[in-house]
Parts: sequence; structure tokens; C-alpha cells
Amino acid sequence: MLKTFWDIIKTTVIALPIGLYTTFKHVFKKPVTKKYPKAKSEMMPRYRGLHYLERYDDGTERCVCCGLCAAACPADAIYMEPDENEKGERFAKVYEINMIRCIFCGFCEEACPEEAIFLGHEFELANDNRDGFIYSKDDMLVEHPRKDRPYKTIYRRTRRHSM
Amino acid sequence: MQGRNGLPVCVKNMSDNGKEKEQVTLTIDGKEISVDKGTTVLDAATLMGIHIPTFCWHPKLDSIGACRMCLVDVEKFPKPAVACATEAMPGMIVRTDTDEIVKARRGVLEFMLLNHPLDCPTCDKGGECDLQDNVFHYGIDKSRQAFTRRRVIDDQTTDAFDDKRIGPEIIRNMNRCVTCYKCIRFNKEIAGEYDLGAYERGNHTVIDAAPGEQIDNFYSGNVVEICPVGALTNTDWRYKIRNWKAKQTLSLCSHDADGQNIMLWHDQRQLWRATSRRNDDIDDGWICNIARYGYQYINSPDRLKTPLIKKEGKQVPASWDEAISLISKRFKEIKDSKGSVCLAGLIGGNQSVETAYLFNKFFRNKLHTNNLDYRLEYIDLKGSDETEAYNCLYRAPFTIADLEQADVVFVFGSNFIKDHPAINLRLRKAYRKFGTKVYTANPVETKSADISLDEMIYSPDTETAFIAGLIHAIIDNKYYKNIDETKAAEVKTMLAPATLDEAARLCGIEQERIVNLAKVLSEANNPYILAGDYFVASAKRHRTANGMYDLANLLGIKDSNAIILASQANSMGADRVGVRPRLTENLKKTLIDKWGEELPESPGSNTSQILNNSLDEEIDGLFILGANPAMRYPDGPFVNSALDKLDFLVVADLFETATSAKADVVLPLAGWAEQSGAYVNVEGRYQKFEKAQDADKGIKSGIEIIHSIARAMDLSLNLDNAALMHETKDIVDAFEREARDEAKFFEVKQAQIPEHDNYPYRLLVGNDIHHFGYVTEHCPSLMRFTPEPYLEISPNLAEKLGIDEETLVRIESTTGKLVLKARFSEYFEGDVLFIPNNFSATEVTGLVSREGGGWVKIEKLDDK
Repeated sequence: MLKTFWDIIKTTVIALPIGLYTTFKHVFKKPVTKKYPKAKSEMMPRYRGLHYLERYDDGTERCVCCGLCAAACPADAIYMEPDENEKGERFAKVYEINMIRCIFCGFCEEACPEEAIFLGHEFELANDNRDGFIYSKDDMLVEHPRKDRPYKTIYRRTRRHSM
Repeated sequence: MQGRNGLPVCVKNMSDNGKEKEQVTLTIDGKEISVDKGTTVLDAATLMGIHIPTFCWHPKLDSIGACRMCLVDVEKFPKPAVACATEAMPGMIVRTDTDEIVKARRGVLEFMLLNHPLDCPTCDKGGECDLQDNVFHYGIDKSRQAFTRRRVIDDQTTDAFDDKRIGPEIIRNMNRCVTCYKCIRFNKEIAGEYDLGAYERGNHTVIDAAPGEQIDNFYSGNVVEICPVGALTNTDWRYKIRNWKAKQTLSLCSHDADGQNIMLWHDQRQLWRATSRRNDDIDDGWICNIARYGYQYINSPDRLKTPLIKKEGKQVPASWDEAISLISKRFKEIKDSKGSVCLAGLIGGNQSVETAYLFNKFFRNKLHTNNLDYRLEYIDLKGSDETEAYNCLYRAPFTIADLEQADVVFVFGSNFIKDHPAINLRLRKAYRKFGTKVYTANPVETKSADISLDEMIYSPDTETAFIAGLIHAIIDNKYYKNIDETKAAEVKTMLAPATLDEAARLCGIEQERIVNLAKVLSEANNPYILAGDYFVASAKRHRTANGMYDLANLLGIKDSNAIILASQANSMGADRVGVRPRLTENLKKTLIDKWGEELPESPGSNTSQILNNSLDEEIDGLFILGANPAMRYPDGPFVNSALDKLDFLVVADLFETATSAKADVVLPLAGWAEQSGAYVNVEGRYQKFEKAQDADKGIKSGIEIIHSIARAMDLSLNLDNAALMHETKDIVDAFEREARDEAKFFEVKQAQIPEHDNYPYRLLVGNDIHHFGYVTEHCPSLMRFTPEPYLEISPNLAEKLGIDEETLVRIESTTGKLVLKARFSEYFEGDVLFIPNNFSATEVTGLVSREGGGWVKIEKLDDK
């Protein structure tokens, strides 16, 4: 089909400004994307990210190594070894989550009878070797970045038999 | 049929004892069932496969109806009845599932949860707890409680869980208790112990040890297992691994000869615990502490991990190839230069029967020597085999469960609780339930005293005189059966001492008591004579065995009812596959059939001859598999010098022992849980056990070791594991013992009791109650019961010598001396002492001579 003069006018003089109008319209709008490493977005309240282990108000670990999180875990990502402390209490000597296996379903959080584990909003798990993905107690028993605004409501702040 | 808790159904009734019972018919949930009279509604329902929840009920304990969980609706009863304590009556109409019953059970559970702390996350019972299961089933998820829970605080040091240690192994948490009293009932009814009790009452009930005591009885582990909640837990399983994470493997106790069935709980890393695996033919579901905690040596950090080879007087680690090629080279040299009679082998009594058979085949069929034995703890192994009487009684076709039908049991020379825990409990059951009369005769008082009608204490080394006295009593009073007077008079002439009076005087027991025992035995329909470890370890056991043979014949006692009990897990297995110098004709024929070759001609040597011959340099190469004669065989210095004289000694063991220290090559050996196999228990019952965990890389099983040595010597044994298992089973099955000849009588002559003027006290050496053999000192739990060797002494003798408990005492005999702490005995009275030989730190066997046993003198050591 022969291109007529009118056709040429339609595609250049008229269509081009129409298309560019959309472009220029967004130039002055607030961008949808974030400058990711520099700016981070707020996650939804129930977002399930990296695990944290919680402490009681007096600083003792909440986890008693009961094994229910490991039993609930569909990916079999949790490994733990209990031990007895000097008071005769049960605690987790070893507590490891394999973050490569973990599917972040949050069952561990739901199963936990001591409100010891919860999934926070952190999601940056990149690492350059596989061993780095096995998170131990030291990695998870840290103060989480939103200490003032907890990710999860904790109902019992003190230990069961505090004297 | 499986009942609750995975246990086979057991209906408690008197028909256990072989008596016919009247039948009653009742209706449960619309279905009719006929049961024996005396059966409870709960047992009848269980037989029909109807589950009724319980806490306080246990198939082997009497019902007390303490927990009220098993409520059922019985027509015409005004209110719900407890099924476990209601006897089934003709025409009874029972409903177990009405709304009313469910409501009643929910009410019971709610009351139980009133004070329950709900600390399931930290409770060791979590996951196998009856309360958890029932609460989950009945859905009690709301609490109506408005006040605080009861909390029993005994120990102020733990502010978290209110745990209290009430024994070396037992931890009690009273908050969790539902007061079912199972623990106390077990202790009283089954074990005959009274160290656990319920104090206070109602809501304040506390289960605790008797004041000033600990729960340290020999069966105490069972109370933890039967506790329906986590009120009683043990140190062994404390905070280890959740039960649903552990794998379960069927296994057997690897120590004593009863063959108690256990379940091993383990994962890839290690064994975690052992629980009972009810076998009504053997253990009734109760296992002793040695079976329960005696698995721990497998996980010991002291295990040998690599072979050691002696180089320039020092044992240095080496590779398996090096070790095996050295063994094969030296064995070949000895065989070629001096002949195969210079080679010998000893195997421990807890190696599997397959290992024992392969060991036998390797030595007999490939190395062509008859020098092999498994009896490594007893003196007086005369000739190359035991006497006819001894062998006949040793291999008697005894069954543990039949003991319940006995009317008289005569226990001769055995501390049953120590030697045969399962038989001991069976005897107690027979006594308690069926009124069996028990008589005992021992060199010292034993734990069976409370059930025995007459406990006779003969002076040491007079077993033969005692049995001769008993035969005198039978003949004098004409209690004998099956023979005539002339024969009886003839038998009487074969006895020494020649009269009852003399015999009674020698063994220190009144004549009347011996006559009374003879009378009771002769009047009984189904009498038993059981001989145990004191008998077997006595200096002149063959003479006594002759007496026992005569006694059985005089009284017409059944073949299965007079037995000398074997002592180790696979003693009977080793005996049946022929790990002894001389074989029975029957076994010889079986082996020739199997191997297609004649057996070696040489007479063969037993343990004591092997050691003697090595002293005389007639034996040059010795292979010891899983045994420690240097620590266990009497007369330590003699054994040590015999082992030193050997040209070439190979020891395969789990640990470095006194024996392995003398070896030219030490091989690390796999334990029983690291291989599958079978044991033949004291009854001759062939029982399999499964492999629970893989052995460490550098460790091989006995079967692998024998195979690799044979391969290196170019002697193919040509047996894979499956074929080995089948062949062993065939041989065990084909075993036939020579039956007792009822017309035959042997001489019973008491040996001269040597004078011991300077050494006045008789020393008994044996297993401590919480130890067995030389491996249990690697079990931390058992070490908590008895942590160190001691000298057990009677309080009156101690008072005479001015010895207090815990003071150091010097013990001296002709062959050696020792210093040990004294401990007062609950049972001993006279001049008898006891030292356990389960601790490698003390060479107790150095005090014992091979001929006369141990005679010692003791003195208090100065406080310096």
C-alpha cells in the first residue's frame, strides 16, 4: 500500500505528541518504583520475612526447644538440639534454620507455644555460599530493627513461673 | 491383637495359671462378648477393640480405679462406673460412648487440668503423654479456673520447673502429676520395693521417696516409663530429642542372659534411650536398669576408633589393611611352623550368635583347631568340657513363663535380682499371684529374702555339702520317687559327708530346715530348682551339679524344671553353635553336614587350659573377640602373665581394656546396636535384634573382622550375611541336648575346704547390682547408681573391726592386695565380703585364686 502524505502526517506530527504526552505526564508524577538499595518499602503488616527469636523482658531466651516449629515445618528446614541450663531449664543449645529450604510459610511462628519465633519484614538473604544460608541462634537472636514497633503482638511478656 | 499404647492385649485372669474358668456373657456397645469370669469391663472392651481412655490402668498391675477416666455407663447402675475396676457380670449392658459418658470424662479431665502446669513444651513426656492425647481427643481447650494453680516447690534452687531429683536417675515434677499411683503400685506389686510413697492427701498428695532415701532400686526406670504424664522423668532422656523425631529399633538387652526385649530410640547421630518392648514370655514389659541404661556404652567417647599395632613396646594407631595383613601373616607363621593347635580363640558372651558361629567356623573349619571358648569368667573348667551332669542341667529346656505354674521354687546359689532380673520378677509374680512357695539357699542373704519362706545361708564353699545333705534328708525320710530302697541305699553311699547331721553341721544350717525343704520339694506337683551365679562361680561346681542331677532324679523333677542358668546375653547361643572345645555328638554331625569336612581331631582346650598352655608356651597365637579376661577371669596375676607369654595376641574390643593393653594388635569392634543379629537367651530362645546406628568409619563388626582375616589368609569362609544368618538359625534349631537319664546317679562329694587361718574372710567377686561385665562403666547413668568400686561388708563384722562406712580398708589375700572404701550391706551378716569386678580401676580378680576362690584378711587403713 502506498503511503500517502496524510499517512505520514498522522504518524509523525499527530501520534508522536500524543505518545510523548503520556511520557511527559509521568515525568512530573511521583515514581511507583523505589531506588531499592537506597530506599526500602514498608512491607505489609503480615509479610513473612526473615526469622527472629524473641527474648523475655528480663533478657532470657524464650525458645525452650520444644520442637514444635520443626514438627510443623513443611520444608524440614529447622534443626535443633536441646540442653539443660544450670537452673535445670530447657533451652536450645543449637537452633538452625536453613533459609534455602525455608518457604516462609510462617507455620513455625504459628506452632510456637512460647511466642519465641516470628517472621520479620527483612528479606535480604543473598549470600555467596550455601553455608551462609544456615542461620544459627546467633543470627536470629538479635534485636530486630523495629524494636519499638514489634512485628507481632506478644501476649505474655514475662516467664511462666517468674518468682 | 494390639491394645492401647501399642501393647498386645492382656486379659488379667486366673486362667494364666492353666485353670479352666467360667465364662460370662455381656454386651458392650451393642455387641455381645463372652469372657472369663473375673475379667474387668475394660479388658473385655479392649478385647473387642473398643478404646476406653485410662491413666491409672496398666495391664500388669492391679486395678485401683484412681483416675476415674475409664467411666462407662452400665445399665441399672445409678451412675457411671469405672470400667477398670468393674467385673464383667452376666447380662451386663455397657455403653462406652454416650453423651453422658463423654461429659463425665470431660469433667474428669477438667479436674486433672486444674493443677496441671501445661508446660508441655519443656516436658519430656510431650508427644507420648496420655493426658495430652485425652485432652486433645475430648477437646478441653477452655479453662474455667479463676484461682492460681497448685505449685509444689521442693527445690528452691530451680525457679523454673519445680523439678526435684528423687533418685540418681529419676526427676519428679509434682505439678504435672495426676496421682494415678502407677509408680507406687509398680514398686510395691512388681518390684517389691517400698522406697516410693504418696504423702499427704487429696489436693496436697505428693509422690516422693521415703524420707532420707532415694529411688535407686534395680527396676526404678520402669516408673518413668509407666508414668502417664511427665511427673516422673529420667536424666537419661532429659531434654534430649523429641520422641517423634527419634527412630525406633527392635533390640535386646546385651548384658544378662534373660533376653529382655527393648526398643532403642535413636537418630543418625546416636542412641537416645531404651524402653521396654513387652514380651509376655520373658519380661512382662518390665526391664531392669541395666537393660534400660546399659545401651549407653555404645555412644561412649572412649570407644576405640582405629586399630592399634604394637611397635617397639608401644601401641600406635595403624590402618585396617596393615593390621589385618599383620594378623594373617603371624597366624599363618604360627600355623605353619608350630601347627594349628598353637592357635586359640576366646569370644565374649555378648557377641551375637552369628558372630559366635562364624568364629567357630573360622577356628574349627579353617584354622583346624579346637581351642576356643566363651566361658571367660568362671574358674574350675575341668578337662576340655564340663561333666555330663553339668551340661545336662545347663541346657535344660526351661521356659521363664512356666515359672508361674510352679508350686515350689528352690533357688540355689543365686542372687536373682542381679543375675536374672526377668526371672526374678517372674518369680515374684508367681509368689504374689499364684502363691508359689519360694525357698532359697545362698552363701549370703539376698534380695529375694522377702518372698522366700526359708532363706538358708550356707557357709561359703559348702554348696556340695548342702546338696548332699538334702539328698540325705530325702533318702532318710523316704521322700524319693521312681527308685526302690536298695537303689536309694546305694545312692546314699555315694555321698560325702556321709550323714545329714555331718552335712548340716558343715554348711551351718539346721537339720530340720533341710528336711523341711526336702519334704516340701517332694510333696510339690511342679517343683523347680534354679541355680544361678553363686553356684556357677563356686569353686567346685561340678560336684554340686552332680548333686543337683541326683536330686532331680530322686524327686522325679521334670527335665525342664531343674536348670543351671546361663549368665550372659549369648552364653546359650555360643554353647549351641559349639564355641567350646568339645562338642556333643549331635552338634558334631550337624557341623560336618554343613561344612562337608571332618572336624579337627585335637582334644581342644578351654579358657583355663588356653591360659595354662600359653604359660607353658604351648599356645602362641590367641584371638580374643569382645572379652576381657584380664579383668574378669579369676586370678588376675596368672591371666596377665599368661597373656604376656603369648607370641601374638589379637584383641578386638569396643574399649581399651586391661586385656587389650597386652595385645600386639587391637581392633576396634562394633557394639551390638551397630549390627543386626540374634541372641539365644537362657531358655534357648532365639531372638533377633536390629541394627540401630552405623558404626564409626574405623570400626568393624566381629563378622567383618573374621571375614577380613580369613580373606587375608586365603581361607574363604564363603558366607554372606544372609547365608550366615540362615545357617546359624539352622544350627541353633538343630541343637539337641542329651536328656537327663532318670536311672543315673553321680557321686556327690564335698571337696576338702582348705584352711585359711591367716585369711579368715570369704571374698565374693561378681557384678554390682547396677553393673554387668566390663562395659557398663562406660554408661553414665549406671555410674550414677554405683560410681566407684567398694567393699561390701556386713555391719556386725565392720563393728568388730572398727570399720565405719566410707573408711578405707586394706584387703589382702595370698595373691594380691587392694585398698577400697567400705560400704555396709543391707543383706550380709557373717564373715563374707563382696567386691564388684566391673571397674577397670581395681584389679579385684587379683585377690581370687583359681582353686579356692577368694579368702582375704582386711584391716582398717590409718587415717593418714
